[in-house]
Amino acid sequence: MRGIPEQIVAHLKQELNEIDDVKLKMMATEEGDVTVIYFSSLIEKMTLQTMVIIPLANNLKQIHQMSQYIDAKDVKDVIKRLNAGQTLLFFHETNALVSMDTFSAPIRAITNTETESTVIGPQDAFTESLETNISLVRRRIQSSMLKNENRIVGSEANIKISIVYMDNIVNDENLKNLRNRIDQVNYPLFTDISVLKQLIEDNPLSPFPQYYMTVRPDSVCRYLLDGRIVVFMDNSQLAIVCPTSFFEMFVSIEDYYNRWTTASLLRMLRFFGFFITIMITPMYISALTFHPEILPYELLLSLQESRSKVPFPPLIEVLFIELIIEVLREAGSRMPAKVGQTIGIVGGIVIGTAAVEAGLLSNILIVLVATSALLSFLPPIFLMSNTSRFIRYIFILSAGLFGLFGQMLAFAWLIHHLLSLKSLGTNYMTPGIPRKPTDLLDNVIRFPLKYLTKKTGISRTQTKK
Amino acid sequence: MSTAKLKVLNRYHVIFLAQSIMIGTGILSLPQKMSSMGYTQWLVPIIFGITATLTLWPMVWLCSKYPTEHLFRINEILLGKIIGKAINLFFVLQFIVFSAGIISNYMHLIQSTALPEQTITLPVICLLLLLIYIVSGGIKSIARFCMMTFFITIPMVYFTRWAIEKGEFSHLLPLFNFNAKQFFDAFKDGYLSILGYELIMIYFPYIMDQKKAFRHSLIGIWISIFLCFFTTVVSVIYYSEWQLKNVEFSVLNLFKAGEFTFVERIDIIGITLWVFLILSSVTAYVWCAKIGIDSVFKKKKIYILYLIAAIIFVIVKMPFSREVQEKLFAASNYIGYMLIIWPVILMLVYAVRKKKVEQ
Repeated sequence: MRGIPEQIVAHLKQELNEIDDVKLKMMATEEGDVTVIYFSSLIEKMTLQTMVIIPLANNLKQIHQMSQYIDAKDVKDVIKRLNAGQTLLFFHETNALVSMDTFSAPIRAITNTETESTVIGPQDAFTESLETNISLVRRRIQSSMLKNENRIVGSEANIKISIVYMDNIVNDENLKNLRNRIDQVNYPLFTDISVLKQLIEDNPLSPFPQYYMTVRPDSVCRYLLDGRIVVFMDNSQLAIVCPTSFFEMFVSIEDYYNRWTTASLLRMLRFFGFFITIMITPMYISALTFHPEILPYELLLSLQESRSKVPFPPLIEVLFIELIIEVLREAGSRMPAKVGQTIGIVGGIVIGTAAVEAGLLSNILIVLVATSALLSFLPPIFLMSNTSRFIRYIFILSAGLFGLFGQMLAFAWLIHHLLSLKSLGTNYMTPGIPRKPTDLLDNVIRFPLKYLTKKTGISRTQTKK
Repeated sequence: MSTAKLKVLNRYHVIFLAQSIMIGTGILSLPQKMSSMGYTQWLVPIIFGITATLTLWPMVWLCSKYPTEHLFRINEILLGKIIGKAINLFFVLQFIVFSAGIISNYMHLIQSTALPEQTITLPVICLLLLLIYIVSGGIKSIARFCMMTFFITIPMVYFTRWAIEKGEFSHLLPLFNFNAKQFFDAFKDGYLSILGYELIMIYFPYIMDQKKAFRHSLIGIWISIFLCFFTTVVSVIYYSEWQLKNVEFSVLNLFKAGEFTFVERIDIIGITLWVFLILSSVTAYVWCAKIGIDSVFKKKKIYILYLIAAIIFVIVKMPFSREVQEKLFAASNYIGYMLIIWPVILMLVYAVRKKKVEQ
């Protein structure tokens, strides 16, 4: 009966050729020889020692209790188990192949959020481990109604993802819709959940992010309890929340930890900041190129004075400085932290003083551009602030073409585009068009928490159970 | 197409479709058009409202007899295929010319106020592209655009504040110093600016709650009537009788009365923001024209939309003189009035041919 293990070993050797971290170890035990097969990179030595080696030598009963019998002929399954960090034991005497879950690859500890930090509220963030992330959610929602479905995506890499939802609240149609979309995904390169997000969005060509993304467990729990669906991916820190509305891109979880007055003020800033940031520099172009008469005489005078040395038309001037700001931001974000600071200082001095003195830009424009750049970073979702900067270029160009009229045309386009967008089949502009009147209580103004007991309209919660 | 898929308009959509289609460039020159009435013109919008209510009723009644058919199909059913189709083509033409009229008026206004140094060819093309983009989304997307339009443009009412402050309220005293002809002139010219509610005959089959369509439409109509009423009242307060008669686009000049420290000419912002109102009325008309062509030729092709846009472009940029254009638009306006009366005629035909048609 010795033929079979050799056959398997031969198979395995063929499949696992040139993988040096596969270890095959022969051990003598009470039940005869046992071959231990495992990936040394996925299993810590201590775990292996305590879970496999010591019990093999002393207490075989424990091994049998903890292991699972598998079919040795199914080589694919065997390989999959090895890849998932399981240890396989082959008993030569009885011809049995068993597997034990020993996956213990090193994972990052739970740390503070760096991308979505808040002053008040919990400070923990998701990590790159799927199980840790789900445990962070389960710790906050201790209910058997919290379901999670695991799936595998990516034909090459076999990445595990998990769809999490509250069974008694979530809309079944949404859930079915999302499952379908995930099942239809056929893409090999999943390095982060952002890739999956773009593949399952309703309109991938739109500049607007249609799903919310967060690294905060408290934010995820809030949305789960509202009836949304959350998707996690192994090796990805972010979680997708869907469906979400345009308005929720400006909602930070900290709004609910602040008092309602402060929260409302900050929300108004973020929401209207989006529209101001896309309008403010185009306005400068329109006013100077097409309609100088809309400005009062004194303002026009000071504008002209500061522009007197500038040789370009306003459109070129604005594009020039907007692009410089963009370059600065990009350079600053990719640089090592220590160099980044220098970039900021150099950029600040060059743009702030030197460019004006050299007569490349006007003073007033720098104020406007700096304001609009700051405003564009207000949305808590980074993707949204990227979008607002992109949209601004459309407005700048249309203002350069037809002045205020062009701006309003672009605005009409923007409004219609937002109205026609959907997030998982639900309107993206809710509650701009209220689905439920109660949504308005948690809109630009956040009413006191006492009034915010109803689920929002966008999640279309079910009424069963 | 199943009826379930057809019905997409909820009550808010119906309200704001009726409301937003009505407000276009018309309201800008409404006080001037009714100036033959003198100061007493502020009463006329209310009469408009009553007339609109009365004429809305036969439209809804007729449509409720054929809950899944629009006007173009009803024409064919009641008048026979050939006459029906001929009349449908006539209406389609009216819709296209009417929308071209709105765009042409607006673009001339833009050229004279906001873009004095440019030709309007490129802006018109951009406007038409946007128009195609919105119309291709279907009636629901137009309805939602109308809704947003209302909320985006309604803050403009605030700009009339200064006009009210500077105005003279005694102008409002009813003097009744007009004769029947003057009243008729004011009515004829002014009623044009509240046209638009008649399109319910075409989007009626898309309404979910058809039993309440009359009520919802009426709410929309009266919102518009109130805005017209408000505009005329403010104009009467602010202007003298001579100004009412001779100031073109007097509503824009109302905005000019405003005094901000940082903006001198609010009217330019106002008139460029007006593009929302223009788009919301024109998209609806163009959508109806497209539906009409679809039903006449029994084909559903997206290129029809491009064709309509091209025709509008040709009409707007027509190499004829402005007078020929004006005549064309005036003709389309009279057909517009005919469209208001049309359901009454159809009602009579329905009564006569009822039994025959039902077979």
